[in-house]
Amino acid sequence: MKKIKTYTLIGLSIIILAACKKKNPTPAPADTTQQDVINSLATNVDVVAYNELAASTSSLYDAVTSFCASPSASGLTICRDLWKSTRQIWEQSEGFLYGPVESDNIDPRIDTWPVDYNSLDSVLASSMTFSEVEINNLDDALKGFHPMEYLLFGQGGTKTYDQFTAREKEYLIALGLNIKTLTQDLSSKWSTATANNYYNYFTTPSTSNPYYHTEKDVYMEIVNAMIDICNEVGNEKIKDPYLAQDPSLEESPFAMSSLNDFTNNIISVQNVYHGKFSTDNLGLEDFVKKYNLSLDQNINTKINAAIASLNNINGPFSSAIINQHVQIQNAINAINDLKDVLESDLIPFVQTYVK
Amino acid sequence: MIESYDESDWLAGGKQTVYDHGSGAYGEAFPTLSGELSTTHNTGDLMFSSTFVTAPAPKNSGLGPIFNAVSCASCHINDGRGDAPADGGSSASLFLKVSEPGQDEHGAPLNVPGFGSQLQTKAIFGTQPEATVTVSYTYETGYFQDGTSYELRKPTFSINNTYILLPVSTLISPRFARPVFGLGLLEAIPEWEILSHEDTYDSNGDGISGKANYVWNIKEQKTSIGRFGWKAGVPSLMQQIAAAFSQDIGLTNMIFPSETSFNQSQYDHLNDEKELSDSLLYATVFYMKTLAVPARRDVQDPDVIRGRQLFGSATCINCHVPNHRTAVNVAFPDISNQMIYPYSDLLLHDMGSNLADTRPEYLAFETEWRTPPLWGIGLSQAVNNHSYFLHDGRARNITEAILWHGGEAIIARENFRKMSAADRAALLKFLNSL
Repeated sequence: MKKIKTYTLIGLSIIILAACKKKNPTPAPADTTQQDVINSLATNVDVVAYNELAASTSSLYDAVTSFCASPSASGLTICRDLWKSTRQIWEQSEGFLYGPVESDNIDPRIDTWPVDYNSLDSVLASSMTFSEVEINNLDDALKGFHPMEYLLFGQGGTKTYDQFTAREKEYLIALGLNIKTLTQDLSSKWSTATANNYYNYFTTPSTSNPYYHTEKDVYMEIVNAMIDICNEVGNEKIKDPYLAQDPSLEESPFAMSSLNDFTNNIISVQNVYHGKFSTDNLGLEDFVKKYNLSLDQNINTKINAAIASLNNINGPFSSAIINQHVQIQNAINAINDLKDVLESDLIPFVQTYVK
Repeated sequence: MIESYDESDWLAGGKQTVYDHGSGAYGEAFPTLSGELSTTHNTGDLMFSSTFVTAPAPKNSGLGPIFNAVSCASCHINDGRGDAPADGGSSASLFLKVSEPGQDEHGAPLNVPGFGSQLQTKAIFGTQPEATVTVSYTYETGYFQDGTSYELRKPTFSINNTYILLPVSTLISPRFARPVFGLGLLEAIPEWEILSHEDTYDSNGDGISGKANYVWNIKEQKTSIGRFGWKAGVPSLMQQIAAAFSQDIGLTNMIFPSETSFNQSQYDHLNDEKELSDSLLYATVFYMKTLAVPARRDVQDPDVIRGRQLFGSATCINCHVPNHRTAVNVAFPDISNQMIYPYSDLLLHDMGSNLADTRPEYLAFETEWRTPPLWGIGLSQAVNNHSYFLHDGRARNITEAILWHGGEAIIARENFRKMSAADRAALLKFLNSL
């Protein structure tokens, strides 16, 4: 599911020209080990993100439940804002799609797109009960973030609080519960309080570990996930609707938050590189800097350029693909530049320096 | 017997070997692809993970009306295996192939009237699935020669809620989704190379036969050697993938232009155009053709080296043939002339009555299964978070998979059962290094 690798070792031989640009408020200790970085990413990025995601989906579920009990304009605004902030956490976790979120198939169940609108309308028109079992049995295109988005925002984001039918409310509550359950499951699979938790496998590679035999395996996993999301954003999510000049291919069209999604995805890459989700800690950067300051600077420059190029697009995305070709193409190029430096320079770096 | 240490077998996919051992290990592109070829690979990748929806829709239209899955990736999770069904449950990643007794003019199994060749257990809203399928297990305990116990579970499939009566004569074969990497390299193994391992009547007297399946190639309209599928019932990647689009997702295409519900009471008579364009079908085929093979790990670990010797001395190697060289292919140098290590002979073998289904497929009898390639098997946990194996996912780990071997493989299984705990561990360590 991803990427073409062109291993060019040339990148490694780039001469260090410039001094390191300080990104971390506190510089990494000189004796930072490759294991320290793994521990830090697991503790400060992966676990924090999934805990925040589970907490946020729980708030979203509560808000949806109380909105549906007594609909109001303010209640709907709260639900929509929570949907967007939950979505932000999720998109900022897509730079590290490894472990249970993928191998336990949680990603497709909460973030499948496109929505199957015909079936969704049929489901609403039917007499199907919205029990947990029934929702679990629904196909992926009928559950998760995007059907919730469709129900909460409506076409063009113009739905008002008094337009929700009884069936829509039932469906919405059930979807909220389903996403809450799945994200709690995800967070518990990373929790050190759970038996056989993924945190443990991720941070203690050995030949008897069923997932990772060496620290190099873990580093490759981390970098490959960064590359994957760059490829997905640059070459699929933005490129497809743009090349087709077709706004109907846009993801998140009802909340009109596609551009935020893209930016949050690249921020996710930055977070892994810097070792931060809410607070700044040891990240990949601290290992790269030990050996190759110019590579570190190059990666930071490319990340910043990619984020800046996305910020240069004036939303919504559905109209930008029609009337801002230059900005869109620049974003595609900048994200691919970032992907290239990760593929061509960071991967060989990991293969060389991670023991 | 194989030599103690083959210097190059860590390069499992020849020059198309990659060094990703994480959850995306089965989904890496050939490292040699570039330019237009990588664009085509990416297009296919997108198709592979695309969720299809009920027509009409602006994107990914054409699901169903009856189907087993909404996307390739929902069964081949992370380009790997599917979810195995829990006791008493059903699984989206496993379906039942069905047929009537007898063969058509090409030797293919006969479709079941009203059900076709596969039970579609899902349907778009307003249409009834052909059936529901659930599985239950019976457990039995066995012992290694050293007295250590093990437990095997045998599945029983129940077919319920059929939309019309399913004929009692229906023959059934359960099929569990397999990983999809390395398939282009397997397709590139020359036919003569496969046939050189064939020994249908066991004329060398080693107890191992090895039989090629010969099947109908729809695109070329001729009989060809079977390479893919659990019973080697499919001649080419193109036919395998086109069949999956048609049977599993319900997308008509150039190889299978009719809806799977054609001639059935629930047929929607919407057969006006192909739901999957030729170019996207080609791109998806190209995607799977160009998925690389993960490198072996821990090749110099002494236990792994010991396990590799045991793999030979226990005769596993007679069917799980380590290496083949792909044919020279001037048109596509990326797969040309590579020494690869799939650990399979791609031939059919009698695996005994305990593993048998009830549905012959071309030349494959009920007890016969194609030797599944073992490359990448040690990454199953990393990619899919489980290690369920065999055609119906009954084995919960490699040990159980070995213990289910019967028929021609009884000798190999018994050799394993007689091993000391240390030797068994070494053998497993070798397999997990693949």
